[in-house]
Amino acid sequence: MLWVDKYRPKTLDHVMVHDLIAQNLKKLVTEQDCPHLLFYGPSGSGKKTLIMALLRQMFGPGAEKVKVENRTWKVDAGSRSIDIELTTLQSANHTEISPSDAGFQDRYVVQEIIKDMAKNRPIDTKGKKGGFKVLVLNDVDKLSREAQHSLRRTMEKYSAYCRLILCCNSSSRVTEAIRSRCLNVRINAPSEEQIADVLEFIGKKEGLQLPSGFAARIAEKSNRNLRRAILSFETCRVQQYPFTSKQAIPPMDWEEYISEIASDIMKEQSPKRLFQVRGKLYELLINCIPPEIILKRLVYELLRKLDDELKHEVCHWASYYEHRMRLGQKAIFHIEAFVAKFMSVYKSFLIATFG
Amino acid sequence: MDMDSEMDILPEELELLESNYQLLEQDEQDYYSYIDETEPQPQPQSPKLIDLTVPSEPQTNGYKRSRSNSPDDVSLPVPSDGKRVRVCDSSVAAEAEEEDWLRYSPPPVAAEEVRFVKEKTVSRYASEIDGECMPVTAPGGDRVYAKMDRFQGEERLKKLECSGYDADLSSEPIGVLLERWEHEAFTKTLEASSECQSVLEVPEARVVHEQLWVDKYAPKSFTELLSDEQTNREVLLWLKQWDSNVFGSEIRSTSDDVLSALKRHSSISQNQKPFDSKFPRINRGSKWSSDKYRNARSVDDSGNSKSIQDTWNTKSRGTGPPEQKILLLCGPPGLGKTTLAHVAARHCGYHAVEVNASDDRSASTIESKILDVVQMNSVLSSSRPKCLVVDEIDGALGDGKGAVEVLLKMISAEKKPDGGKQSSGKEQQGRKSSKKGRKTASLSRPVICICNDLYAPALRPLRQVAKVHIFVQPTVSRVVSRLKYICNKEGMHASAIALTALAEYTECDIRSCLNTLQFLSKKNETLNAFDVGSQVVGQKDMSKNVIDIWKEIFQRKRTKMERTSHRSKSFEFGSLYSLVSFRGDYDLIMDGVHENILQLNFHDPVMQKTVKCFNSLEVYDIMHQYIMRTHRMSLNVYLPPVAITVHNIVAQVQKPNIEWPKSYQRYRTTMIEKMDILNTWRYKTPPHIARHLSASSFVEDLISHLLHILSPRTVKPVALQLLSDKEKNDLHQLVSTMVSYAITYKAKKSDMLPNNLRHEVADDLVMSLVPPISDFINFKDYTSNHYVLSLAMKQVLVHEVEKHKILQANDKTMALANGPREVIDAGTKKFQLANSNHAAAVDMKTVENQNVLSKQMNANPTSVSRNINSNEVVTDNSKPLTKGNRKTPFSFFVRGKKSNAEGFQSNDGSLQKESASKKDQFPLLFKFNEGFTNAVKRPIRIREFLS
Repeated sequence: MLWVDKYRPKTLDHVMVHDLIAQNLKKLVTEQDCPHLLFYGPSGSGKKTLIMALLRQMFGPGAEKVKVENRTWKVDAGSRSIDIELTTLQSANHTEISPSDAGFQDRYVVQEIIKDMAKNRPIDTKGKKGGFKVLVLNDVDKLSREAQHSLRRTMEKYSAYCRLILCCNSSSRVTEAIRSRCLNVRINAPSEEQIADVLEFIGKKEGLQLPSGFAARIAEKSNRNLRRAILSFETCRVQQYPFTSKQAIPPMDWEEYISEIASDIMKEQSPKRLFQVRGKLYELLINCIPPEIILKRLVYELLRKLDDELKHEVCHWASYYEHRMRLGQKAIFHIEAFVAKFMSVYKSFLIATFG
Repeated sequence: MDMDSEMDILPEELELLESNYQLLEQDEQDYYSYIDETEPQPQPQSPKLIDLTVPSEPQTNGYKRSRSNSPDDVSLPVPSDGKRVRVCDSSVAAEAEEEDWLRYSPPPVAAEEVRFVKEKTVSRYASEIDGECMPVTAPGGDRVYAKMDRFQGEERLKKLECSGYDADLSSEPIGVLLERWEHEAFTKTLEASSECQSVLEVPEARVVHEQLWVDKYAPKSFTELLSDEQTNREVLLWLKQWDSNVFGSEIRSTSDDVLSALKRHSSISQNQKPFDSKFPRINRGSKWSSDKYRNARSVDDSGNSKSIQDTWNTKSRGTGPPEQKILLLCGPPGLGKTTLAHVAARHCGYHAVEVNASDDRSASTIESKILDVVQMNSVLSSSRPKCLVVDEIDGALGDGKGAVEVLLKMISAEKKPDGGKQSSGKEQQGRKSSKKGRKTASLSRPVICICNDLYAPALRPLRQVAKVHIFVQPTVSRVVSRLKYICNKEGMHASAIALTALAEYTECDIRSCLNTLQFLSKKNETLNAFDVGSQVVGQKDMSKNVIDIWKEIFQRKRTKMERTSHRSKSFEFGSLYSLVSFRGDYDLIMDGVHENILQLNFHDPVMQKTVKCFNSLEVYDIMHQYIMRTHRMSLNVYLPPVAITVHNIVAQVQKPNIEWPKSYQRYRTTMIEKMDILNTWRYKTPPHIARHLSASSFVEDLISHLLHILSPRTVKPVALQLLSDKEKNDLHQLVSTMVSYAITYKAKKSDMLPNNLRHEVADDLVMSLVPPISDFINFKDYTSNHYVLSLAMKQVLVHEVEKHKILQANDKTMALANGPREVIDAGTKKFQLANSNHAAAVDMKTVENQNVLSKQMNANPTSVSRNINSNEVVTDNSKPLTKGNRKTPFSFFVRGKKSNAEGFQSNDGSLQKESASKKDQFPLLFKFNEGFTNAVKRPIRIREFLS
């Protein structure tokens, strides 16, 4: 078992990074009046951990007993009926689904399946009053606009005995209407100090000797992603123990690859080179690296090697092309367009300065 | 008698009449000249014709004629002619009753008279006349407005009255004149038609305007064909190869004759056919074709003579019908495929029977029809065998399929008997078939199929058996010369430049060209060279091959008319637009543009052009996505301009090297595959881990590190009892990680070896991770520095993982048996428990271990026979993992003293109690066979579990 999972806080009391939020959530739950919740924040910051701890706080250890179910729903969509396959995680009191898995049919998931789940009152055997059940929806930001619209009514209508916990990376893609119906909980990325603290805690638990500054180095490399930090900490442990302060922290492979691309771009600016870059970009995309991440990392790598004068312009163009990428469908067009633009800007800059 | 009385009644009017008569006469002349104008004929010819026709005219006409010509006859009494008298009678009666009104009523006459009386009051436009006016339509169709003048009316009435008196004048009105004129025209045509027996190109169309130029100037003979020489000749050659089969020996098909004829491609070749005389000889046509022949020959002769020689050789060897019994002609519309088929068939002596899309083409009807054509010898058309021309075979898919199937069936039916009777005189057989027709449905007549799209799915089977000829566009110059010739014939003025533009615009579609020309000539317009695009020329709704479209986009045409750069640009825009939009498959087109754009050679020093191109591609992508999302298909019209923008930026004169866009599709499919792998992996991992990870975070955060973690450099594939505590701990950690992430190793064949396994021993057997997560970092041109475990280590790990899984499953069942007290996330908790209990367990175990070691001496002989893995298993007693393992059953059985669980484990437990040595050995040696146990079964009460 990886340390990531091993040292994941199980209860709100044990939460280390977002302890303030955890305390607030605990208060919320103990008052027996939990609104709909919307957790948002970058990946690896602890949204899911918090949600799980919250559920445990609500329902006790039974919440951790889940069963995975791959169910097929038959949804009647006007003239025809559609089969939708979804994986659910279910415990006695809550259900977890990712409606965006259904792709463009997510509307039906929301309209039919979620409504169906929300409709059924939980049966409380012990006769507790005010029992409600919880629906955890993952990746709400990936839901289509239509699906989000149809979610609104469900949220209101069945709020007496059903709570929704929504989880997403960015709240900007969640419609205003949904955001206003939820208590928004922003889970920001843990700061490097916090990450270092967690790493030191784990090291102590594992009985490891950490050289001073080592945890900080890992935290710095981790891009403020706690999961990644813990994983690379464990990797370091596996590769070399006892630690030395100069120990290399193994990089992510795809990041290495992107920095190769960046140096390719810096070396030569021509359509030919762009074509080579295209091949490499395809390689990354094939391996399921999201295009936004590729673009972001690429800009990061390029900025490191760039003259200060150009940084502002390159950032501008990067955001410009990322926006268009999100509007469009074929990510490769947009990433390549950015690379072409960068090449053009950079080359004209080189010509202007060095003649 | 009546006439006389009339004259008596109005004697004073006569004077007026006399004075007006000159004018009337003049008016009549006017009328004639007016008719002349309406005729397309040149003016001077008309009076001459009239003169000529006079003698041949029937008697009645002659009278009329003479009367009109000679004004002196006015006062003479009319010769008794029944018809005339009646006319006069009626006119007189009308006059008597209604005076002038009836006379006034026929508008044409009135028009003439009004015009003659008051020229200024007549105008083409009503607005030009002030005061009252009335529309008047002349017999020629001209419409004028005449001013109504009350005052003048009096005078005119008088005049009309007097004209009413005059018998000749009253008979002159337009009806009669028209009749006469028609008759003249008729006789003229008669003359012309008699003349036309000798001349093919007759001016009859001038009179009968209904005939289309396309039909009128359709090539009547082989030499007139416009299509590519080589194709023509090969079609002819193919048809000739049937000769021996169809005509038998009746007509000798001497090879030399035909060959030379084909090679020279002159009308001489027709001479050998007896029915040649039926083809009208063309005087002007041959002249025209001879110069066409000259330039075509210079191009074709050198290249083609050899290929013809070849085909000919193959032909002359076998005397039967050609190898491929079906000829498939394909090409874009309007190039003359159908014409070629018909002309060639006729040329070779066949009677062409056409089945086209407008006929019923279901399989049954077509079969009967084909049988009819192919096997029967028609009684009516004396000696001519039939040749089937299946036109537009690709047109209607379902129907066309029927036709194709029938044809294929017949071919296959043909092949079988032929195979048997190969040696038995084919010629004879052929002759017999031509006479009587065979019982088996087989092809014994040439069949020519015509299609536009060779690659239509319905034609796939036919393509393999048929001889395929692809039509290419005739050269523009040929088309233009033909058009010029026709224009000259029709007396239409069209400059060569205009015709060239037209031909280029229609892509040498001669049918479209002719229709356009005819249309314009009808409208009396001339073809304007620069308005071809904007004029009513119908453009073909023809979708081109995608590759061609990409070529169009990337290639700039070398324009000859640089001066009209603006115009040509707009023309280019239009043609590209229609090209792209007809094709419709924008996604594919744009993928192709994206794929190839970087391979082009365009001058782009600071890559601004590239940036522009990519920006337009982005625009396309965004628009496309928007359209797809909102289903506003009407916005699709804005997609082709993107391609045009790209064209304007990058198009080069030189020929681009187009590649089919594969990379995007490849990316899509591979990504989906990998996504699948990730999802199944995620599904397999236990929910308490998987729920925290999304598929993308697997790749983003996890895999790289996981690969490091899974392959520590410190573990060595040695006997487990030789490991230190720390190493054991590491190993255990590793195994539990693998289990919790549902990862294991699997043996694969070495040819599927991924290239990054460089630490692998060169072995036949290769262990790789399952699921194949190492593939996710296996980028092209990238070497990761991941350490890969040795094969032995992997084998150890596989074994450990298996064992661990079984233990976990065991734990679960036992946890269930133990009741809800202990159940907290059975799999993992148990293990943590086991881990934390190590220290405590060690004391207990040490005692046991000594025991084990002593026993192992005894056990060794049996384990020698096993492979190394099991050997390790036997010896790994002291491993913490097995401790945990033994710990759990131990604690369980300690707790439930008398209980005995079902299955071997409990059996093992009970044995364990009896003898320590056995207890140590059993957990290690078990081999689980599903559905089989050799354990001792014992009845047990449920409360024993619960206690």
